Amino acid sequence: MVDTTQTAFWPRAIALVDMNAFFASIEQHDDPALYGRPVAVTNGLTGTCIITCSYEARACGIHTGMRIREARQLCPELVQRPANPERYAQVSTNIMAALGEITPDLEVFSVDEAFLDVTRCQRLWGPPPQIARLIKQRVFRVSGVRCSVGMSGDKTTAKYAAKLQKPDGLTLIPPWQSRARLRDVPVTELCGINHGIGGFLAARGVFTCGDMARLPISVLARRFGNPGRRIWYMCRGEDPDQVSGQVKPPQTIGHGKVVPPDTRDRDLLLTYLLHMAEKVAARLRRHAMRAGLYFIGVRCRDGWVGDRFRTAIPVNDSRPLGGLCQTMLRRCWRGEGVFQVHVVALDPASVTGQIDLFAEEHAQARRRNQALDQINERFGEFTIAPAKLLRRSDMPNVIAPAWKPYGHRQTIPSTRPRRPPASGKLPELDW
Amino acid sequence: MKFSILREHLLPLLQMLNGVVERRQTLPILSNLLLVADKKNLIITATDMEVELVVTIENDVDITGELTLPARKFLDICRTLPENSRILIESKGDRVLVTSGKSRFILSTLPAKEFPLVEGMVKTAEIKIPCKVLKGLFDRTSFAMAQQDVRYYLNGLLLEIEQGILRAVATDGHRLALCQAENAHDVHGSKQIIIPRKAVTELMRILDDEQKEAKLEVSNNHIRIDLGDLKFTSKLIEGKFPDYKRVIPKQNETPITADKETLRQALTRASILSNEKYRGVRIILEHDKMKALAHNPEQEEAEEEIEVKYQGSEMEIGFNVSYLLDALNILKTEEVLLTISDPNSSCLILAQGESDCKLVVMPMRL
Repeated sequence: MVDTTQTAFWPRAIALVDMNAFFASIEQHDDPALYGRPVAVTNGLTGTCIITCSYEARACGIHTGMRIREARQLCPELVQRPANPERYAQVSTNIMAALGEITPDLEVFSVDEAFLDVTRCQRLWGPPPQIARLIKQRVFRVSGVRCSVGMSGDKTTAKYAAKLQKPDGLTLIPPWQSRARLRDVPVTELCGINHGIGGFLAARGVFTCGDMARLPISVLARRFGNPGRRIWYMCRGEDPDQVSGQVKPPQTIGHGKVVPPDTRDRDLLLTYLLHMAEKVAARLRRHAMRAGLYFIGVRCRDGWVGDRFRTAIPVNDSRPLGGLCQTMLRRCWRGEGVFQVHVVALDPASVTGQIDLFAEEHAQARRRNQALDQINERFGEFTIAPAKLLRRSDMPNVIAPAWKPYGHRQTIPSTRPRRPPASGKLPELDW
Repeated sequence: MKFSILREHLLPLLQMLNGVVERRQTLPILSNLLLVADKKNLIITATDMEVELVVTIENDVDITGELTLPARKFLDICRTLPENSRILIESKGDRVLVTSGKSRFILSTLPAKEFPLVEGMVKTAEIKIPCKVLKGLFDRTSFAMAQQDVRYYLNGLLLEIEQGILRAVATDGHRLALCQAENAHDVHGSKQIIIPRKAVTELMRILDDEQKEAKLEVSNNHIRIDLGDLKFTSKLIEGKFPDYKRVIPKQNETPITADKETLRQALTRASILSNEKYRGVRIILEHDKMKALAHNPEQEEAEEEIEVKYQGSEMEIGFNVSYLLDALNILKTEEVLLTISDPNSSCLILAQGESDCKLVVMPMRL
């Protein structure tokens, strides 16, 4: 029998590229002395929580989220490296750019994952197995980092396939085999099916993807709407979700930070909160947005203390937010020990939009912020900042898993691309 | 207390009263109606502590007294009884017995003494005005009231008495509607009050188009509208309404004159392909021509062109199309005048030849 997977074109071909132990791999690549050694990356050398670790460390049972002290007990020779978010962002940007040269139908899924819809470039690059190998070569060439590639006819099966062989894996599931391959896979193994949905399905006798065939799609649609319908198709290996290069507008824009454990100093907390408020405001401005509803809170031993606050009109200036931070500490905080602070804009919306009849045009604040942003854009974040922030945290920025090379998820300021990538259009700055 | 009443006499009033009663209550008594029966009259009161409605029905009473009963359940019972039923209401200890034909209901009650009533209104102004005029003012402005704005004074309607003119103004910060009645009966002095949103919507249900006279009594923190058999009282919103006069632009030399219906229909069609959330349309003004362009996130596009009278400079300006349509919907004339001076300033919309109604819409930055 002819092996169709090797030669024929697929009706739909989607690849998921997953960088293996991304941050740790970069550390190993940049310092060859680390090759073959267990490496754990933490937030600065003072950070105690493992952000990620190399496969050598994983072999000892170390995993993301583990405390460094605990990990040292499992593996005394563990090498701790401080995270270097700028470098990771740079490598990720390079990788995404290289993938964009294979196909423009690219969806950056996270800092170390991307979907590629290669359906329409099979004539150019050859059948899917060939494209999968090409992806691995290109990623290695621009970054020196190995990746796992899963290739199938839909996003969910591709993501499942990529997980099957790690590190440096390559797994192909032709679309016509997807349903059979997923049949005995537990539904909760699929990306996007959490325990809540899993429980709902289990109560109806659906444990594996194959069980789903017995459940009418309308049952899921009634409970979860369209996302429910999608889950039903996902289990058949027919996930209808498109690979989309568009960055969806943000639901919220927020920043948080850990404070020295059990902080009770009101002034210090205010400084930390103002630091976050400044970052939120600057990020809103960078993406030509503003917001009128904010969550401001501090995390204490018993959970979050804080509330939602409204500004009179939507803003992207940190001054009114500073006022809200003070209000929050006065109204909600009872002096308990704090571990973390958080400021989130809950309703970010484009500054283009409705003009208010009674809004005083704060021309001065706008000019001040414009100058501030230009200076910080050129010389680095917080080159110029309110004097109050002199006591701010010196802990470095952390790169979030949801980081993307463009759009509002580009949160590592010094690595912002000067020119927008071909697929993403940066909004005009007009406030 | 004991009396019987014809379903048809009671039902329309109960429906009005239930508008005042909030569905969710923290104080149990606020879900109840207060019924007071004296010899010839039945007086029913509903309140949410901000808005109070008292209706008086002439009806024979067998045994006088007072009681409270659950408003929504009582309405549902009356509503579902057959037409022309006679309903007998009787207090039985700590219960209320409602019977009609072979139907029998026992409802719970709460002490009438605990029912909160607006008391001690010290009248500082009084106006008499035909219901129809008052309703007209509300009908043409209430749509612009804000909903749950932090600027709480916008979540209501400004009623202003100034030199014989009664004026209603509502705004949500994006658009503003002003409507005034000149030579309203017996308008003296000058006064500004803000009526809360809920009171305005309830009043619009109560006021009818008949040429009945309404008596408006204003105190420092209440307004009462007395229609004889209906007495509606509302707390006022304290706070200062923004200076609306400052934001109403003057009509300029080169207004756009458009056929209202043509414009309304064109905008309605264009709005189909505008962004569902932001509802933006791009208006392009040229010599005697107006274009309305809309597009949505799916990159579908609508383009409408209409003939207008316009001698001003060429301009491009964005609007929330819903705000324009809301404004056009309340103008009664065939032609409308739009004054637009620049893409960042408000637009004034007037009915051709009428000046009692002014509508202002702020543009969008597109």
